[in-house]
Amino acid sequence: MTDSYIPRGQAASAENTAGRRTDLRSRGEPALWSLGGALALGIIMILGFLALVFSNGIATFIPKPIAVVTETGGQVTAGEPFRSESFRPTVEEVATLPPDWQARIKSAGGMVNRTLYRMGNFDVYGEDFRWVADYAVAKREFPANMVFVERMEWGPFIGTVKALTIDGNAQPFKSIEDPVFLQAHQQALDRADDIRDIERGRIGDINHRLENERLALRKVELAEGRTSAAYRDAQDRLNTLSVTLQRDYDALAAEVTKLREASARNTLTLAAVGGEEKTIEFAALVRIYPANDLGFWGKVGVYLSRWGEFLGGEPREANTEGGVFPAIFGTAAMTLLMVLVVAPFGVITALYLREYAKQGRLVSFVRISVNNLAGVPSIVYGVFGLGFFAYVLGGSIDALFYPERLPSPTFGTGGLLWSALTLALLTVPVVIVATEEALAAVPRSMREGSLACGASKWQTIKYIVLPRAMPGVMTGVILAMARGAGEVAPLMLVGVVKLAPELPIDGIFPFVHLERSFMHLGFHIFDVGFQSRNAEAGKPMVFVTTVLLIALVTIVNAAAIILRSRLKRRFAGSQF
Amino acid sequence: MDSAVRIDTPADTVYHLKAGGAGAILAINELSLWYGAAQALHGVQMSVEKGLVTALIGPSGCGKSTLLRCINRMNDLVDGLRIEGEIRLNGEDIYHKSADVIALRKRMGMVFQKPNPFPMTIYENVVYPLKVDGVRDKALLEETCERALRGAALWNEVKDRLDQSALGMSGGQQQRLCIARAIAADPEVLLMDEPCSALDPIATAKIEDLINDLAGQYTVVIVTHNMQQAARVSDNTAFMYLGRLIEYGDTETIFQTPKSPKTQDYVTGRFG
Ligand SMILES: Nc1ncnc2c1ncn2[C@@H]1O[C@H](COP(=O)(O)OP(=O)(O)OP(=O)(O)O)[C@@H](O)[C@H]1O
Ligand SMILES: [Mg+2]
Repeated sequence: MTDSYIPRGQAASAENTAGRRTDLRSRGEPALWSLGGALALGIIMILGFLALVFSNGIATFIPKPIAVVTETGGQVTAGEPFRSESFRPTVEEVATLPPDWQARIKSAGGMVNRTLYRMGNFDVYGEDFRWVADYAVAKREFPANMVFVERMEWGPFIGTVKALTIDGNAQPFKSIEDPVFLQAHQQALDRADDIRDIERGRIGDINHRLENERLALRKVELAEGRTSAAYRDAQDRLNTLSVTLQRDYDALAAEVTKLREASARNTLTLAAVGGEEKTIEFAALVRIYPANDLGFWGKVGVYLSRWGEFLGGEPREANTEGGVFPAIFGTAAMTLLMVLVVAPFGVITALYLREYAKQGRLVSFVRISVNNLAGVPSIVYGVFGLGFFAYVLGGSIDALFYPERLPSPTFGTGGLLWSALTLALLTVPVVIVATEEALAAVPRSMREGSLACGASKWQTIKYIVLPRAMPGVMTGVILAMARGAGEVAPLMLVGVVKLAPELPIDGIFPFVHLERSFMHLGFHIFDVGFQSRNAEAGKPMVFVTTVLLIALVTIVNAAAIILRSRLKRRFAGSQF
Repeated sequence: MDSAVRIDTPADTVYHLKAGGAGAILAINELSLWYGAAQALHGVQMSVEKGLVTALIGPSGCGKSTLLRCINRMNDLVDGLRIEGEIRLNGEDIYHKSADVIALRKRMGMVFQKPNPFPMTIYENVVYPLKVDGVRDKALLEETCERALRGAALWNEVKDRLDQSALGMSGGQQQRLCIARAIAADPEVLLMDEPCSALDPIATAKIEDLINDLAGQYTVVIVTHNMQQAARVSDNTAFMYLGRLIEYGDTETIFQTPKSPKTQDYVTGRFG
């Protein structure tokens, strides 16, 4: 470029700037660094969080070796090394130690290492865990005959197998892989299943039918009074039914007794390291493995079987052991129901606000209010859900449709339906905002094209606007789902319980029981971690359940995102 | 810009319509229009001959699109719009209180400046006007689709991919698809707002041929910025300026011996 192209004034300044560098600040470099730094920090925090949760959660079910520690004082402890930490022993204690330990502790600044052992055998020792300081250890071994026994009750037992009784006969115990042993165990588990089937299923059925008949009687009494003929008929029906049902019940009860007796004839005698013996039934045995004598595949087997039980089983031992299937099921059912409510409700509201309402001050006010609703603390929704849904709505439903069950509430207390509605209310602003944005983003040309074809406004919305806005609506629903699935606080007020006797969906008419309380993974985490007798034993379960909750939310979201991108692809043109 | 020319009343409009039309299908009477406080049309008075192509020309912002959109009441969507005067379609006042907007729009087809195919298949796009009209007869729909696509000179290009998304077509094809959609329901009037402005010369030529073919069968009102195009396709041309109709008459006269100096300036390219 020659000088003649540059106007005079600029030519002068061009000379001035020649050889000078642009100020770093004006180029925005420092801003860029701080922006990038903030992003990096955010990502690191999230990754760190995920790494912590996952490393703890994934490792929980790995079978650990069992150490037998003999202390200098003579006490013997057998248990899984749970965790180690550095601590400061008291001066008096240090004074009793041999000189070399005293010197070591002194050089370490008064600190020494100690290890927490999970001893199990709560029924024998009265405690699950024991700290052993390094200086107290005289001997530490990993004997191959130690077994880790998971029981239905009392937590794990750690010790050795002493004796075996199968069908009342004492048998020599060879090994855990012994087919005789395995078969006895399997039979015992089958028997336990049978007992459960009878008690929960068939006896439950009988109780259910009896209860229904009793309710029918009560209904007649409320409607026609005690003196009516209908009442007497109903009473007769109840009486005859009671007789037959009682007969059925007696038969079943006898069956159960027989099974239990058979169960009691198959036992396993275990001995703890201190020599204390314990005899348990095979039926109370969940899992037994020689912790120090497991090959790689043995470990994998135990690991997978524990995951299987966790995902598919029911909780035991105040939720700290066993599975979380009811919680998974409850979370999924509640979230699904919530989506069924929140999606249409949010979309219809947004449609009205954006397409039909006259845009003015009132609509702006409504819009701002909706946005602010998203910021209300969730527990407030819980209070509302309890006060309005459960007490007012549920109370009225009970008075109208279930008077015979009063005073025990049917819908007049927390339950699946009220939980789903409460969360729907909590998440509906998300759906409304996202849908409104999606509707606003539908090009005007599309609407005009449709209207010019002679379509009515509703047809235009139905055929053109809504399909076009669907990916945006999906985004809103995904966000709502993610928020709803992870919300716990309001649910504690409107229907989540620590332990639900029945699933909200089962084989008893009408199959979906919207009034039932249910279990929820989020609440389960809280309960296991902070409400159980044994916080230390519950801690690993907290992480496993958290991993599961994260996985569940991720899977659901991924599915929804895939669906959304499918929808989006339909609208992506290849023009230009 | 040029304050020498003063036009106040429609009486100032110069008319010299081409003979040979089958009478007026549209009569626009003293039409004035306000967007809020801003007046966009000032007493426009014109009639559109049945079966002819009428072009609307004029500098940007003079109200061509506004006028065109009044004819099928697309302007109804605009907030704060006020209209005076009347438009009669075959003698019926389309702005009458009892007029049915949807029925009116069914009698008209509209093609927009930018192709706006719906995110559906080609077939669904073409039969959309029938679908919203409640037609479910598959044979009729297919027949209409073929006829409309042939009418829009698109049939041979797309007959093998009717079930593919319309969004995968080229811009010119999309515009012809929009024309097919506009003529699918056999409208009485076809309104086109700069239908070629987003297209290359070849696609433009195709659409111009198409308009020539459609003339006679349909009444076409077309807005265009392209003088040659107006000259090539239209029978009558209306020149608008600042919301007023300056001159309206047969295309040849408008382009060769315009009566109004304003028109003269515009068609010779002195402003606009
Ligand atoms: N929705 C609207 N709201 C307010 N004013 C509008 C609206 N649409 C158009 N106008 C105004 O009305 C006048 C006429 O606009 P119109 O779109 O009819 O012009 P046009 O002749 O089609 O121009 P172009 O050739 O650029 O398309 C312009 O001054 C424009 O700013
Ligand atoms: Mg325009």
